[in-house]
Amino acid sequence: MIASASQLALYLLLAAPSAAALLALVPWVSVSRAAARTGSLVAVGASLILLGTAAHVRWGPYLGVDALAEVLLFTVTSIYATSTWYSDRYLRAVHRPYLTPQIYYALLSAFAFTMIAALLVTDLGLMWIGIEATTVSSALLIVLERRPASVEAAWRYTLIASAGLTIALFALLLLYIDTGTLDAIRLAANPPPLTLPVEMAVALALVGYGTKVGLFPMHTWLPDAHSEAPSPISAMFSGVLLPTALYAFLRVYRVLGTPVPASLQDLLLAFGLTTALAGAFLLQRQRSYKRMLAYSSMEVMGLALTGVAIGGIALYGALLLLVAHAFAKSAAFYCAGNVLRETGTSKIDEVRDLRGRMPRTAAAWVLASLAVTGAPPFGTFLGELLIVVGALAIGAYWAAALFLLAIFVAFLGVNGQIGRMVFGERGAARAPVASDGDAGAGFAYLNVAFALALGVASLPYLTGALRSAASLFGGGAP
Amino acid sequence: MDLSTELVGLVGVGILLTALFLQSESFVGPLVRGIALQSLLLGVLLGWLAWSQQSLDLALLAVLAVAVRAGLIPWVLDRQIRAFRWRLREVHAAQRVTGHALAAIALAIVAWFVFQETLAGVFPQPGGALPFVLLVEGLLMLATRGNTIVQVIGYLEEENAVVYAGALFAPHFPLFVEVVVFLDVLGVVLVGVILSIQRDVTGTLEASGLEELAG
Repeated sequence: MIASASQLALYLLLAAPSAAALLALVPWVSVSRAAARTGSLVAVGASLILLGTAAHVRWGPYLGVDALAEVLLFTVTSIYATSTWYSDRYLRAVHRPYLTPQIYYALLSAFAFTMIAALLVTDLGLMWIGIEATTVSSALLIVLERRPASVEAAWRYTLIASAGLTIALFALLLLYIDTGTLDAIRLAANPPPLTLPVEMAVALALVGYGTKVGLFPMHTWLPDAHSEAPSPISAMFSGVLLPTALYAFLRVYRVLGTPVPASLQDLLLAFGLTTALAGAFLLQRQRSYKRMLAYSSMEVMGLALTGVAIGGIALYGALLLLVAHAFAKSAAFYCAGNVLRETGTSKIDEVRDLRGRMPRTAAAWVLASLAVTGAPPFGTFLGELLIVVGALAIGAYWAAALFLLAIFVAFLGVNGQIGRMVFGERGAARAPVASDGDAGAGFAYLNVAFALALGVASLPYLTGALRSAASLFGGGAP
Repeated sequence: MDLSTELVGLVGVGILLTALFLQSESFVGPLVRGIALQSLLLGVLLGWLAWSQQSLDLALLAVLAVAVRAGLIPWVLDRQIRAFRWRLREVHAAQRVTGHALAAIALAIVAWFVFQETLAGVFPQPGGALPFVLLVEGLLMLATRGNTIVQVIGYLEEENAVVYAGALFAPHFPLFVEVVVFLDVLGVVLVGVILSIQRDVTGTLEASGLEELAG
């Protein structure tokens, strides 16, 4: 029974977004929107069934799930659902969109499908195709608002991400030549001997998939794409695309077995900490609030990679951080979308007194910014705390110090700027207030509440799945 | 050395020469024809390997290399160039072309030596370093050129490098054909869709840094 329910859920996870993508192409916008919304809700339901049954099994040679995939599937489908529902009002405010609503909803569902597919396959080659497919399906969404800067961002995103993924493909070639298989489950169960090609494969996969994760110095596409994409798509980029790419790397990383060679552990630590620090410092000088949030995502990916490198309890912290950040950052981008719709500008200096102009959005934005920067008691805080504890436990004091520095700098930067926009005095000139300026803020509250719940409660199924996921990689749990 | 090894080596050197030519050219038209020639040479190499190993997968890859990367994509790029008759030469690279060529040669030598020092024992095939050299040349082109058509050519060169490496070292790599089809689809999306949008919205193919995207 459990196997059949899980199997049904797995098929639904693939069928719902793909059917939604096809149905969204019908000539009627209302049907297109309904198809995308229904597809996203069915996908959330299916991911919940997988979490509930905790069926860590595989179907056929190419499909399967374990705890880590289940956790991320739930996260991806949830953000897909909230972004789909949030999109309606956002689309209405876009002047002369490049894409029709039907194409938009079709691409949105196709984007979700590619991420879900990447999480459901067990073959590293297919996983690579899934990650590459996310680029194809999402690149056109960036140009929705028809700005030259959007086209430039889409171009950079496609080219840089694809160049990085070509390096990841080289990594898979090396791995296959040395091991004779790309079956992630088989490789994880029987880790191959640590040869030079295997070590090089892991290092190249870090660079290749790391480009899509937004690791420094391959991150240059990230702030462009996140800031130019429509806000619901930025939410999916920051919240779930980056963790999905990190997941693909983790599958290659897991081939190493435990303990991980010190040289590769140090490489991960170096990339993680450099990315976190670069993101934290670069976000200070941003003039666009969406771009600032993008750099904040880069910082969090660096923190999560640091947790993976440290291992033990820090690995659990990294996974918790990824999930909590997905909900918190999507909320922050929904608020940013509301502010952009209301004020017509993405420049921080031109936005003031949001508290008075759109109070519900302003309050949600403050909460979301606290959540993304790891303020207690959000799940992000717990995740970051566990990573620091893990670093101290293995005596990596310098890593813990740099980690705390990145958190501190990012916290001050993001909250300081959002505080200025929310509580700052407004100038003489003021744009007219739209009657529905706060519309859609409910989705931000919903996601912030989830990020909060992850920090203060042991959530049924999800917390257990997170523990199992950490143990898959030799990590511990509190 | 047998005929097969000699042929593979000879075509490989031809591919490397096209890569160096691409780095030293600032006119976009010859660049498009250069990548078409490189893909054609790769198609010949794949065809030979397919025949000698009786491999259907390699034969399919040879057809794809010739049909898509030597035929379809250069044809679409050529149409894009015709639409921008007044920008046949890459503006910024024109003054730096000597530097590009020298950097490309230096990088090829470094990549060759790095391969010999690290992976030559794992991949003993003659000319095994060539795909790696081709990969770094493609990355160099992507990183240093400012015209979007030239960047597409850098991307295609990278793709050629992956196919070359796969055919030489791991002809039975699972899903190889599917992966290459996917890379080709992405190439078509790049040249057919995003370039067209760029033309519609910005009216230029120069990827000039926009003020809003700074930082």
